[in-house]
Amino acid sequence: MTSNRSITYMFMRLLLVEDELHIQGFLKNSLEEAGYQVDAAQDARSAMSLAIEETYDILIVDLGLPDQDGISLILQLRQHGVSGPVLILSARRSVDDRVRGLEQGGDDYLTKPFALAELLIRLRNLVKRNGQPGSEVTRLRILDLELDLLRREASRSGQTLQLTTQEFVLLEYLCRNAGRVVTRSMILDRVWGIRNQTNTNVVDVQICRLREKVDGLGRQSLIVTLRGMGYVLKER
Amino acid sequence: MFLRSDETNVRSAAWRISLWGTLAFALGTIIIFIFLHRFLSYDIQRRSDAWLSGEVEVLGDIAERTPKDALYSRVLVEVAELVRKEIPNRNRSDGSASDSVFFLQTSEDGSLKLWAGASTSEKTLKAIRESGTLFDLPSDLHVNGIAIPFRVVSIPIEDGSRIYLGFSERDQLRVLNNLRLRFLLLWLLIVLLGFAMVFVTTRGMLNHVQEITESASRIGRSDLNRRVPTTERKDEVAHLALTLNSMLDRIESSMHQLHTITDSLAHDLRSPLTAIRGKLEMLLSSAANDEQIESIVSVMEEVDLLTDYLNQSLDVAEAKADALRLARTSIDLDELLKSMVDLYRPSLAEKGLQVTLRSAGSVIVEGDAALIHRLVGNLFDNELKHLPAAGTVTIQLRANRELASLRMEDDGPGFAPDVLNHLFESRVKGKESSGHGLGLAFVDAVTRAHGGAVTASNREEGGAMITITLPLTSSACSAERPATKGDPKHASSLSFSLK
Repeated sequence: MTSNRSITYMFMRLLLVEDELHIQGFLKNSLEEAGYQVDAAQDARSAMSLAIEETYDILIVDLGLPDQDGISLILQLRQHGVSGPVLILSARRSVDDRVRGLEQGGDDYLTKPFALAELLIRLRNLVKRNGQPGSEVTRLRILDLELDLLRREASRSGQTLQLTTQEFVLLEYLCRNAGRVVTRSMILDRVWGIRNQTNTNVVDVQICRLREKVDGLGRQSLIVTLRGMGYVLKER
Repeated sequence: MFLRSDETNVRSAAWRISLWGTLAFALGTIIIFIFLHRFLSYDIQRRSDAWLSGEVEVLGDIAERTPKDALYSRVLVEVAELVRKEIPNRNRSDGSASDSVFFLQTSEDGSLKLWAGASTSEKTLKAIRESGTLFDLPSDLHVNGIAIPFRVVSIPIEDGSRIYLGFSERDQLRVLNNLRLRFLLLWLLIVLLGFAMVFVTTRGMLNHVQEITESASRIGRSDLNRRVPTTERKDEVAHLALTLNSMLDRIESSMHQLHTITDSLAHDLRSPLTAIRGKLEMLLSSAANDEQIESIVSVMEEVDLLTDYLNQSLDVAEAKADALRLARTSIDLDELLKSMVDLYRPSLAEKGLQVTLRSAGSVIVEGDAALIHRLVGNLFDNELKHLPAAGTVTIQLRANRELASLRMEDDGPGFAPDVLNHLFESRVKGKESSGHGLGLAFVDAVTRAHGGAVTASNREEGGAMITITLPLTSSACSAERPATKGDPKHASSLSFSLK
């Protein structure tokens, strides 16, 4: 599931600022596996010197650093001309107003504990958002599945699928992230606007119904369940 | 300024205090004045009576000693004229001073013998006769045609005639009138000035109290760092402000303490959970067979449950202490419910349950979207867990001027009576419930944190009913929604029939 990604992000340089070593460890591993070139820092001071010496395309900053608050580190980095997008990690309960400000400024925010798949997708979206905004697509095509985003219609092998509005939004989200794992909480967030993780079984049932419509009638199964992770729409 | 009579001023305590204070002051001064006035008029009377008695005695004496010859009447009248010019309490500018005294002598048979005075002798004599007294002691005499009474005293003379000396009370009354007028003007001035002063000072003080009240009521859960205004003065009001502020200090510090505890608890537990989850995910990607995958996945699910439990119980704990931090935004409950119904519909359908949403359009509340989503989710999860197949869930959204009300009903067995009274307490759950017993405690906590209320009951026709009311935003209040005002006929009914 990572082979295609490593090609895309071969030269992405990433700075990971996380003081908990066991979290830093597995994050570094999986990020490298996903194709990022990762440098890790344990505190704000070393992060600062690394960020000024090197140029990073993207940063991951934990808010609870031993020597300095994560947000002030980010603000300081911005003052020193470090412009790469930041993914903020936090184990705090309340979202600081300053974090909201950063979120509006194009950075993203993720609460611990998180699913790795979600971290990877958010990183990818951050990079994409900061790159040149690609022309607005009006059609999505994955294998024989086709989505007309203007007319809100989906068809499989030329056969129109009878989807509800919400099902179309769900399918569109899966298609836009085709080939990548999306977690159930991401689906809740993006499709239903629910950021507080509720009973995630409801997503399974929704996916199950969508799958009946998309993959039914003996067609090739496109929507794949990855146990413990989420769902992926196959693109090949 | 103090006469401004707009309603707020008239209703204010400052107005009432100054009104009653001034009234008491005015009454008191009036009473004192009445006593003074009486004392003064009595004294003036006594003095003029003494003068009158003295003069009449002199006149009597002269009348007795003067030989009854041709000069008798001339002598008496001359003396009387002299007396008339010596009147007491005389106003110097008043040229006609001699009008105020008359001298009268009657003969034995009561007919007029001698007269000196301004008014007509007949009228005076007539009045003396009609009064029926002998005027041995000074007393009042009203003469027809003259407004001001005379003070009259008489003395008998040996030859049987009588000498009357009358003295108009005009000057005496003028002195008293003058006194009354001056007092009244001064009194009015003092009362008005006193009222103004009392009003201004009490209003200043009470305005400060009002400021304190207003700013204290504005200090919500989210901005506990604000304080009520204090002044340099060292009076009771300043003391009140200081006391309130020190109380707020204590509340803020204990709330801060609670936040520190929950935050560090969250942090200390979430960090290892993050590591565990991450490592499990890495294990999962390298898992060799289905058996391994299943066991890793089940552990991950447990980790997620634990995380969820941690989050909810910290939320409930904070909310119970009135310290839940809300990230308020405008939320359209109608939209939120539609999307939640949409999300839960298939899951409910799988259990053979129907769901109906009755709403009359958008209802805007200020709230924490994530918490309210979770709240509604918990209500649905509750139905999913407890409602037997073929049941129906009905959600009704209404709003009046101040409150949004969200009611969730079902036609199931309802709440067990032993659970009903403790429904919103943490870790209370039905016998068959598999949850952690936090769901409804969370619903209650979040509703309260938003300034709302939640009630649960069993419907008469069977089934459970939970009603949540939330205050509307002030801006939403101005936009009238008559259709939602308790008339379900106008409510467009959105009905989702399943299977």
